[in-house]
Amino acid sequence: MNEEEIIASGILELYVCGSLSEDEIHEVEVAIDKFPNLKKEIEIIESSLINLAENVSPPLASLVWTYILNAIHSASNGGSSGTNEKSFNWAGVSGWAAAILLLGGLFWAMNQKSTLEKQVDYTTTENEALEEELQTTEKELLTTENVLAVLRSDSFDKVILPGNDAVAPEASAKIFYNKEDGIAYIDAEGLPTPPEGKVYQVWSLIMEPLTPSSMGLLEELSAVKSNLYKFEQFPAAEGFGITLEPEGGSETPTLSQLYVLGTVSQP
Amino acid sequence: MEQPDLLILQMQQRNEKAFERLYSMYSEAIHGIIYSIVLDEAVAEEVLQDTFIKIWNNAEAYDIKKGRFFTWILNIARNTAIDKTRSKSFKNTKKNLTTTNFVDILTSYDNLNSKTNAIGIKKFVDKLKPMCISVIELLFFKGYTQKDAAKELEIPLGTLKTKNRNCLRDLRWLVIGPQ
Repeated sequence: MNEEEIIASGILELYVCGSLSEDEIHEVEVAIDKFPNLKKEIEIIESSLINLAENVSPPLASLVWTYILNAIHSASNGGSSGTNEKSFNWAGVSGWAAAILLLGGLFWAMNQKSTLEKQVDYTTTENEALEEELQTTEKELLTTENVLAVLRSDSFDKVILPGNDAVAPEASAKIFYNKEDGIAYIDAEGLPTPPEGKVYQVWSLIMEPLTPSSMGLLEELSAVKSNLYKFEQFPAAEGFGITLEPEGGSETPTLSQLYVLGTVSQP
Repeated sequence: MEQPDLLILQMQQRNEKAFERLYSMYSEAIHGIIYSIVLDEAVAEEVLQDTFIKIWNNAEAYDIKKGRFFTWILNIARNTAIDKTRSKSFKNTKKNLTTTNFVDILTSYDNLNSKTNAIGIKKFVDKLKPMCISVIELLFFKGYTQKDAAKELEIPLGTLKTKNRNCLRDLRWLVIGPQ
C-alpha cells in the first residue's frame, strides 16, 4: 500500500481510537517509518477526535486537578488514601528493612568476633600462666624428689647443728653432707630470720687446727626451696658452723655471732 | 496537534509541572469520553481523577516510540470508566441509561455554556447519519476493537474502516479548515 491508500483505508483513525490489534498497530508503525507524512495525518485525526470529545465534556471543575495533585503527593509521601495503596513502595521499604537487618547482623557478628577474640586472648594468657605454673610445679617436684633422694641416700650424712647457748640457744640447723662429691644441703628451718642488714654465712671447719672456710651465704642464690640451701665445691669438712655476718659476708667468721655449730660424726 | 513528547518525558521523570500541562491539554477530551460512558457528572469527575492518578503512577509504562500518548490515556480512561459502571454502587443508582450516545449529550448542552467551536460541532453532528453515530460511538467513545464493532453493527471489517473515516471527514475541517 502507498501513502494515499493507507490514509484512505481508514486504518489511521482506528489507530488513534485504539481499536487495532497488536499486529495492525505494528503495521501502522512500520508504515509511519516509511512515510513520515502519515504522522501529520494521524495528528489531524487525533486533533479532530480530541475536539469532538472536548465538546462532549460537561464543564470541568478546576478542583479536580487539586484532588489529583493531593493524591499523587500523599502517595509519594507514603500515605495511603485509597487510590494510592498500590503505589506504596514495598520494594523500597523492604530494601531498607533488609539493609538495616544486614547492618544489625554485621554489628552483632563483629561484636561476637571481638568477644571471641578477647576470650581467645584471655585463654591464651591463662594457658601461658598455667604452663608456667606447671613448669614451676614440675621443677619443684623435681627438687623435692632430689631432696627426698638426698634424705634417703646412704651417701649423705646427716649433721645436726645445735644452737650456740651463748648467742641463740633455741636455734638449730641440719646439714646433709656428701663427703665424696662435696655436696651439702642445709636445712635452715630452725634459724631465726636475720635482722635487717645481716646475713647468715656458712663455714666448713677443719678441727685440728680449727680452720674455717666460707662455703657461702644463706641467700636466694643458693636456695633450692624455702629454707633449704645447696652448696657444692667446698673444702672437705669435719664440722659446720653458721654465723650472722654483715650483708655480703665476711672473710673470717664473727665468732661472737656464731648461731649454730656441729661436727660430722666420724665413721 | 503534534504530540508533546518533551512534556511526556518530563512527566515520566516525575515533573509535576509537565504533568499539569498535559492535564490541561488532554483532561477535557478525556472527561468527555468518561462522561459519555458513566453519564453522571460527579462520577465522571471521580473517574477523571482516578484516570490521571493512574497515568501519573504508570507513566513509565508508556513508550513514546509505540503508539500515541492520547490513545494510551484514552484506553486508561475507558477502562477506568467501564470498571466504574460495573461497580455495585454505580449499578444501584444508574439504570437504563445506556441508549444515550455522544450526539445526545452534545445536543443536550445549552449553546451558551458550550465551547468556541460548538456551533461547528453541532452542525457536524446534525449531519451525521445514524450509522456514523454508531461507528464513532463504538470505536472512539466505547473503545471497541474493530472486530467487535463490525460484529455489533453487522458490517464487514473493511467497510467499517472506510465508513469511520468518511464519518469523521467533516470533523477534520473544524480543526484544519476546508481544503
